Amino acid sequence: MNKKLTLAHFYPDNMNLYGDLGNIVTLLKRCQWQNIDLEIIEVKKTDKIGLKNVDIIFLGGGQDQGQKIIADDLLSRADMIKEEVEKGLVALTICGGFQLFGKYFQTAENERIPGISVFDCYTTAGQKRLIGNVIVDTEQSAKEWLPMAEFPHYKPSRTTLVGFENHSGQTILGDNCRPLGKIIKGFGNQGDSKLEGGVYKNAFGTYLHGSLLPKNPWFADHLIALAYFRRYSVEVMLHELDDSVEISAHEAALLRAETAKTVSI
Amino acid sequence: MRILIANLIAKIARMTSRLAKRGGGTTLPGLLAEKIAPNIITKLANQLPQGIILITGTNGKTTTARMLAAVLEANNLKVIYNSSGSNLSRGIASCLSQNSNLLGTKINGDIGIFEVDEATMPEITKKVTPKIILVTNLFRDQLDRYGELNKTASIIGSAIKRVPESIVFLNADDPLVASLKKYNKDIRYFGINDHIETKSNGAIDSKNCLECDHELRYEHRYFGHLGTYECPKCGAKKPKLDYGLSNLRLSVEKSIANYGFSDHKILLEIQLPGLYNLYNALAACAIASEMKIKDTTIQDSIKKVTAAFGRMESVEVDKKKLFLLLVKNPTGFTQVIETLSYDNKPKNLFLLLNDKFADGTDISWIWDAELELLNKLADKVVVSGIRAEDLLLRLKYADFDLGNVMIEKNVGQALDLAFANIQEGETLYVMPTYTAMLELRKILYNRSLVKGLVE
Repeated sequence: MNKKLTLAHFYPDNMNLYGDLGNIVTLLKRCQWQNIDLEIIEVKKTDKIGLKNVDIIFLGGGQDQGQKIIADDLLSRADMIKEEVEKGLVALTICGGFQLFGKYFQTAENERIPGISVFDCYTTAGQKRLIGNVIVDTEQSAKEWLPMAEFPHYKPSRTTLVGFENHSGQTILGDNCRPLGKIIKGFGNQGDSKLEGGVYKNAFGTYLHGSLLPKNPWFADHLIALAYFRRYSVEVMLHELDDSVEISAHEAALLRAETAKTVSI
Repeated sequence: MRILIANLIAKIARMTSRLAKRGGGTTLPGLLAEKIAPNIITKLANQLPQGIILITGTNGKTTTARMLAAVLEANNLKVIYNSSGSNLSRGIASCLSQNSNLLGTKINGDIGIFEVDEATMPEITKKVTPKIILVTNLFRDQLDRYGELNKTASIIGSAIKRVPESIVFLNADDPLVASLKKYNKDIRYFGINDHIETKSNGAIDSKNCLECDHELRYEHRYFGHLGTYECPKCGAKKPKLDYGLSNLRLSVEKSIANYGFSDHKILLEIQLPGLYNLYNALAACAIASEMKIKDTTIQDSIKKVTAAFGRMESVEVDKKKLFLLLVKNPTGFTQVIETLSYDNKPKNLFLLLNDKFADGTDISWIWDAELELLNKLADKVVVSGIRAEDLLLRLKYADFDLGNVMIEKNVGQALDLAFANIQEGETLYVMPTYTAMLELRKILYNRSLVKGLVE
């Protein structure tokens, strides 16, 4: 019998910009290759759902309209999500999703869209749109957020993340939210090329799409390992997969980020 | 006087640029002309006796313009149009200047058809009042350049609002396009009434009611967010069609449908595959019919239209056929894939992904295109382009048999590999992004396999 994990994909209709589906398909395939059944539940606005059987939640990026449409609905689920995140629920939130998992997003018109405060951070609309390839180094931060003691066998093959950012929001992290990593190339949370993303327990937020997980398979495996441990209380023994295609795409993206121009408009 | 100087400079720039083989000379002359005589578009366009038609929207601008031009020309109108996809203000200025006398007092044409970049629309309707504005569809396309889809819609809306005298043709099947009705009184709707269903389960760009934000319910979904829809909450629904297609018969080679308006019924046949090309044909026919062009003229001329630059274009090389299918955005890519699956024959594929500015520097969109619909159809595959590795990765996660997939980043060598995969009489299906297609054409041109570099 295969072990089973469940992923709740929040608002796939409204929050699906920039290849977010690539993240879902990567988790699905990599679970499959590890003989884990990943069930995917699509959570649409007003759908009733508990999180007791959910192991990973995913919230992608959206247009402003998409964010406004779902903001209230997400807020109505805030207590439930925060309670499970405290107990180690794995969450991956991208771009607009990351912003809504913070305290609030203040638009260019000074309208404040409240977030659900999983992350101790807030976002304000910036003057410029920050667009381009990104390289993030997670080595330092990973030491702080990897539960190493519980994962004696877990050795991530890499610590860099590659992706593409496109945001005007500037996200400022508070004391209770650690960054996902340091920017090597790109703009990052505040456009100052310093910090990228946010981490609280097993919840991750980032501006990286591209899609994020296909080209950063070690990070996808990391999410799977965290979810597996929370569900089954043992470290998952991941088979070594042939990741040569993933790694060559990762390396090509590293090279492209070094050479291609970034723009802010 | 300014017009004279502007025209002179533009004509010289065009000649020099052609002589220097710097391209077709389609934008620089206009750029200079507008700098010298900012009112050149207004002055010259107003001399066209039948006025001008603007075509905007994400997909289908070039092909629709081509089709419409073919019909109008068959009706003995002298048409001037910006055929090279130079759809910014300067491209339109270039085209007008090129077709006028030096003084700018006489223009050699009856009517102008201009495809206009979505974001450029407000600038153009500030300069001219078109006879007709056509909005084809709105899909997400290279968001790194334009920002967001609803914003694009409101930009087009503001352009339409400025010219209340224009007749506006809207794609009724696209809820976002149909919502532009609020900007003008004189609206014509075109669309499809059929039972076809897309195979795609993928992301839809515009799924919520534009009136009340509630999720739309689709009776039929043709592709992307185009279909027969209504809002269960506020009752907003697909408008009644003024010009419509029904009884669609689609194949990998051509498309047939019944075209109707008021009490007219016409069998329409086009030599281009793909549902989106039927939309293009419909839009062109609708405008022609509105202009009272005879049904038989429309029927005969639309049948003869061949593909626009790289859009379902077919090239024959050593008894092997190369079929060029430009891909620019997820919906377009998925539509091309759906078209190839009209028959279930295995196909040899050549995919190219670049991430230059004209392609969109963000390649995330390949994860929204449904390559999963293509794996069963694929025989041998070659991937190339600046981001070839990303394409290969996409194919891996779309369950392609990687044993049949080769990667070669050099486009010329990749072409050789892909060609070696096919036998005489067979077809290679090539799906490049924009700059990859230009690169490929240049190689074919240098090998004397295609005649021109640009149209």
